[in-house]
Amino acid sequence: MSYSFGSVPTMTLGQKLWRVHWPLLIVAAAVAAIGTAALYSVSGGSFQPWAERHAMRFLIATLIVIVMAMIRPDVWLKAAYPIYALALLLLALVPFAGVEALGARRWIGTGAFSFQPSELMKVALVLALARFYQWLPAEKASRPQFVVIAFLIIMVPVALVLRQPDLGTAVLFAVVGLAIMFMAGTSAVYFLSGLAALAAASPLVWAKLHDYQRKRINIFLYPEQDPLGSGYHITQSKIALGAGGLTGRGFMQGTQSRLDFVPEKHTDFIATLLGEEWGFAGLMVLLALYMLMLVLLYAMAMRCRNSFARLIIGGAAVTLFVYVFINVAMVTGLVPVVGIPLPLVSYGGTSMMTLMVGFGLAMSVYVHGREAVRRDGIGPFW
Amino acid sequence: MFEHDSEEILAKRRFTRRAAIAALGQLAGFSLLGWRLFQLQVVGHGRYAPLADENRISLQVLAPKRGRIFDRAGVVLADNEETFRATLVPALSGDPAAVLGNFHRVVPLAPDEAEKIVRRLKKQSRHSAMIIAADLSFDQVARINVLAPHLPGVRTEVAWRRKYLPGAAMGHVVGYVGNVEKVSADDGAVMRLPGMRIGKTGIESSFENDLRGTGGTQKIEVDARGRIVRTLEAVEPRAGQDVILSIDAVLQRKVSERLSSERRAACVVIDVSTGEVAAMVSVPGYDPAEIADGISDDSWRRLVEGEDKALLNRAIAGQYAPGGTFKLVTALAALQRGTIDETSSIDCTGRFEMGEHTWRCSKGGGHGPIALHEALAQSCDVYFLELSRRLSAAALSDAARTLGFGQTFPFGLQQQKAGILPDTGGQHPQAGDAAAAGETVLAGIGQRDVLVTPLQLCVMAARIAASKAVVPTVLKVSSIGPSAEFAPLAFDERFIAAVRLGMTSAVNDDAAPGREAQLGNGQPIVVGIAATALAASWQSEKEQAALAWEDRDNAIFVGFVPAAAPRFAVAAVVEHGGTAGAAAAVVRDVMTAILERYRPTLVPDDRPDAAKSNGRHDNGREG
Repeated sequence: MSYSFGSVPTMTLGQKLWRVHWPLLIVAAAVAAIGTAALYSVSGGSFQPWAERHAMRFLIATLIVIVMAMIRPDVWLKAAYPIYALALLLLALVPFAGVEALGARRWIGTGAFSFQPSELMKVALVLALARFYQWLPAEKASRPQFVVIAFLIIMVPVALVLRQPDLGTAVLFAVVGLAIMFMAGTSAVYFLSGLAALAAASPLVWAKLHDYQRKRINIFLYPEQDPLGSGYHITQSKIALGAGGLTGRGFMQGTQSRLDFVPEKHTDFIATLLGEEWGFAGLMVLLALYMLMLVLLYAMAMRCRNSFARLIIGGAAVTLFVYVFINVAMVTGLVPVVGIPLPLVSYGGTSMMTLMVGFGLAMSVYVHGREAVRRDGIGPFW
Repeated sequence: MFEHDSEEILAKRRFTRRAAIAALGQLAGFSLLGWRLFQLQVVGHGRYAPLADENRISLQVLAPKRGRIFDRAGVVLADNEETFRATLVPALSGDPAAVLGNFHRVVPLAPDEAEKIVRRLKKQSRHSAMIIAADLSFDQVARINVLAPHLPGVRTEVAWRRKYLPGAAMGHVVGYVGNVEKVSADDGAVMRLPGMRIGKTGIESSFENDLRGTGGTQKIEVDARGRIVRTLEAVEPRAGQDVILSIDAVLQRKVSERLSSERRAACVVIDVSTGEVAAMVSVPGYDPAEIADGISDDSWRRLVEGEDKALLNRAIAGQYAPGGTFKLVTALAALQRGTIDETSSIDCTGRFEMGEHTWRCSKGGGHGPIALHEALAQSCDVYFLELSRRLSAAALSDAARTLGFGQTFPFGLQQQKAGILPDTGGQHPQAGDAAAAGETVLAGIGQRDVLVTPLQLCVMAARIAASKAVVPTVLKVSSIGPSAEFAPLAFDERFIAAVRLGMTSAVNDDAAPGREAQLGNGQPIVVGIAATALAASWQSEKEQAALAWEDRDNAIFVGFVPAAAPRFAVAAVVEHGGTAGAAAAVVRDVMTAILERYRPTLVPDDRPDAAKSNGRHDNGREG
């Protein structure tokens, strides 16, 4: 008895390559190209230091997606819990091992790519939940004991990153995890009552927050309190976006976003530069590309014939959405500043790698999971 | 079968429903972002655009002035020279080609220079400035400013150019600055300034962080045509810190002049009381001014690719077999471990068997029964090979480390090499390889499994001279705070004294191998040891002289002066010097130069004959 994904054993490498969802990769490449152009502009019309490396990283990451797509999903299925356990262990070690030790825990490549435990967890959490719901018969998904187990799978890493403290990643874990629970069919009653409980508990959360986190939220609510400090960044970001207008100032013509007025202009605040140079229209095109990616991902999920595959792809889609939403909401002043990059556009190898590994998993289950599952080959955990 | 399928269909339908709800939620999220962006960018454009545009506030980064580099007496080794240059901002100039045409009438540009500039301008942001002419005269600056209305977008600015003490003596120590080749993402805006220069090697590079300083910023309000309306706030750049070296520029120049008669050589002088490096020369050298001012491709290639590797600082990065100078290590290791005492005698037959090979001693017929003092004084190889045979590689290496080998020093020059010691080299023969195993004893006379740098050799001399773990520095000690007291060496003072005495004879006896280092009658006594290395077996001086230059042995000498109260340690390596005397002669001339400068500060020395009577009577035979 072995795990099986239908007609997998008979597929040749060529057939697998043919089944890769190329349109998704093409749209992702378009987004990465926009990022490269923006980074070229940020550095004053130079491929150094960011644009060139950004493009290189995307190419390498795309290769990794394609290689991952060739791997049979049984591998991921078997590895799901061990990877989750490893990620959990590393996360738990962070406070003791410190930052220096983090640097030593790079487990893929050198230099350009490095992983922090929380990045590994972003992938591991989706894997573990998809594995869990693959095992759990759908009609049991709403039973309290299983809801509690899924909730713990999500909340233990959330608690660990909150302790780091990393609010943005905690939100990402929680939203992605809960979304997978939701897509797996957990009763909506839990989510509604959970929301109510959260509203009631928010004063408690406030009390537990770090000073700098409270300060950020305060400044977010009242930016005029501190126009030259932290609030200054949001104000400048808004001015840059507003200066862009409908169609923008044109490529390399942005002044606000390039002149060091905007902080983190090449990483978390790169949307500011895009908004100034390409205007509202440009950002709408970018958001449309992201939406297209989401649509393609959901379409991929619909074509898969097992729960593991669908939830892996669904998880990748939600991760992408949360990144985009929090980032754009942040630079437009809708939510406080938390360090979440704009996927495939912001400079930074780690976040790009995490997202693309998620896509790689999605591609693997998509390539292998489209055929009817051979029921006679399925073990007790199916 | 059917049941499973219908179950699967149900599951899929449920997922589709839930995914659709999630997707709707995400669509709502994107709509919220779209609405927000519309509010800010389209509705708010009227409000924000003037904030960004009218009297735009521009942030200029101001370059810091680089710290200067001084020698110990305050002689400026690296300074900054004010120069004027002109920059062009394309966005403000309208038609850069036309502006350059006007500019050409004030500052003549090379025939195709204007086209090159226009081409480069197209590749960069229209808002960033590009240098279009450097090294302008004051007159040219004045005319540019008078003609400003015809030169929109052109500005003149003051810049700093690095200026070095001319000549090749200081090149390896001071290093030079050059263009920023690759800006890493973490570097500040200063690094992206046009014309920014950073240290490439030497002190310029290793003290880059101190020397660079911190960039300033200037928030200026400019009108739509780029004219400065007013300066809103300015943070002045903070100049880099000056660095005061322990090097004595006068002595350094003299050593450099002396060494330049050799093809490849290095010499280090250390003040044993403070660890300060008073001179450090490697030949061939280079003139940093030549490189910093823009060296021609040809000259650069000669420096980089030349056979003699002029850019290599041999004093700290040249690794040499120490030859007989390593006998000091072997002697101290054996004494301290009780393998021998000062009087133990070993019979030298002139030959030492090791596996398949035989090593011939410096004296063909052998020295006969010989003890430590004579063995050092007459440079007996067999004596030290026998000690080496009795010592483990670890014991030898430990003693070597105590004397400063096998390590780099927190020293301020990054190119340092650590060298190789018998227990670190990875050159050990496989166990059971008898022939090779027999040859490991050659480590004891520095002919195998040991590589050292001239700096380390000089540190050894300083440590033996002072009986303390002298730590070298290139910074003037008084400029970086009170000097730390050095720890005593891990050898018995009695043993160190015995070695010093042997070294005294090795230079001052009538036929001593290091006799060329003697300063002459009435001069202080030099204590030291001379050696050659590389050769597989001993060759007479006559044979060495007849060899082609590149086949000759390296000549090495380490020593200190004066004998009674040692103050300066000197090490010299002359590549392919042939005989030990070549290095000893260099050290003699260097010590003469030292005495010319420092004699009044030295403790009055005892007479040469006094030193001799302190020592044992030399046998006075051929070496």
